Amino acid sequence: MSKRQSSNELRDRIEAWRKDAAGLNYEEAMQALDLLLAELQNDSVPLAELQQRVLHGEVYLNRCQTLLDSVEQSIVELDPTTLEATNNA
Amino acid sequence: MSVDRLPTYSVAELNTAIGSLLERGFAPRFLLEATVSRPQLKKGHLWLTLTDGAASISGVVWASKLAQLSYRPADGDGVTVVGKLNFWAARASLTVQALDIRPSLSTVLRDFERVRQLLEQEGVIDPSLQRQLPSQPSTIAVLTSVPSSALADMLRTAAERWPLTQLIVVPIPVQGSVAPTIIATLEGLAERTDRLGIQALVLARGGGSREDLAVFDNEALCRVLARYPVPVVTGLGHEDDLTVADLVADHRAATPTAAMVALLPDREAERQGLVQRQSRMRDALLGRILRERQRLQDRAFALQNQSPLEKIRRQRHELDQKQLLLKALSPDRWLKRGLALVSNAAGDAIQDLQSVKIGDQLNIRMSDGTLEARVDQIQRSSPNPTP
Repeated sequence: MSKRQSSNELRDRIEAWRKDAAGLNYEEAMQALDLLLAELQNDSVPLAELQQRVLHGEVYLNRCQTLLDSVEQSIVELDPTTLEATNNA
Repeated sequence: MSVDRLPTYSVAELNTAIGSLLERGFAPRFLLEATVSRPQLKKGHLWLTLTDGAASISGVVWASKLAQLSYRPADGDGVTVVGKLNFWAARASLTVQALDIRPSLSTVLRDFERVRQLLEQEGVIDPSLQRQLPSQPSTIAVLTSVPSSALADMLRTAAERWPLTQLIVVPIPVQGSVAPTIIATLEGLAERTDRLGIQALVLARGGGSREDLAVFDNEALCRVLARYPVPVVTGLGHEDDLTVADLVADHRAATPTAAMVALLPDREAERQGLVQRQSRMRDALLGRILRERQRLQDRAFALQNQSPLEKIRRQRHELDQKQLLLKALSPDRWLKRGLALVSNAAGDAIQDLQSVKIGDQLNIRMSDGTLEARVDQIQRSSPNPTP
């Protein structure tokens, strides 16, 4: 496999990881990150996969950071009688 | 005073004059601290006697007002009445018309104790039943009055700490006869908790007097709260206020703001946690590479040790060491310091005069050569004198 092919493949893989991570909430992304960290710290990852695992971990890390940087809080107000959402919020 | 100067009234005129005097000369509204005695419902109106032990006056709460009251006084309750005087001219009877009746602090605290003891006996209040709060709830319900400063404080705190959590705000009334309304809201919300994804409930009310929080000592309300399907956090009144609702809740926060702090993680602390994880990941990568490099070096070293050339080099080194040792143990070094080695013609070393006699041929070996000598005379050393 040529160097260029390998580089394209890695880029595609990172893109797929990003898409997967985008569906995770903060807690899920953090759990995935911690799992990867534990693997990295106990030397169970084959050397050849080391760099990819780190890149995968950074994808989860970025997902957490993006969520933390969000400033819009979702607030829904319910009608106290019907308990259906009102338009006040 | 002559009879002519005295005012003359009919009974009706007298009563009207008294009524007019009271109307002009007495406060239109006043607060009355009293104890309730013999409350009775007649045709929907609540009649009662207000007393302080030394004096008493009759009072009435009209049916229309009674429906709006959050509290129904019982016999012996201490109360604060917002009242006005009613004077019925036809019978000259004087009554305090209650516009509002609130339990006094002693009554509120007595009721708190009663409900607390009851729910403790039944095991509804039990610290061991308190559930753990979710660490990062995705959705929480907030029951409080809307709008209110308590809600504004909570929204601000939530935005600062953890905007990732969705807030479902459910307005509840906090003035008047509100316990049935709050109970209905709680029960309705409990049924929808799962569907709405609610992971915790906050019941909050801003400051005020302890009497204002009396609704949160309501027995039925507290039972509903204790049964709520997800953990409940209360933030009611001020730091020192304790209600029965606080005791049945899974977590009691001192204020509405503190309720949000208890339930939502701190964004800044999480940021720090992320930075630490990033650093740990980098360390893990570098550490692993270092360890692998060290292993590689160890193996290269081991391989090198097994080569024939290295073996020869080691053996040569061993030989050199032995040669040096041999040299160190040789008598040559004594000869170099001026001593001599004496031996007989047979080559045996002479250690004392016993083995020598006059005429013997001796070889005296020195550092730079050997002398041949013959013994002409033997002189034995005299033994050392004993001290």
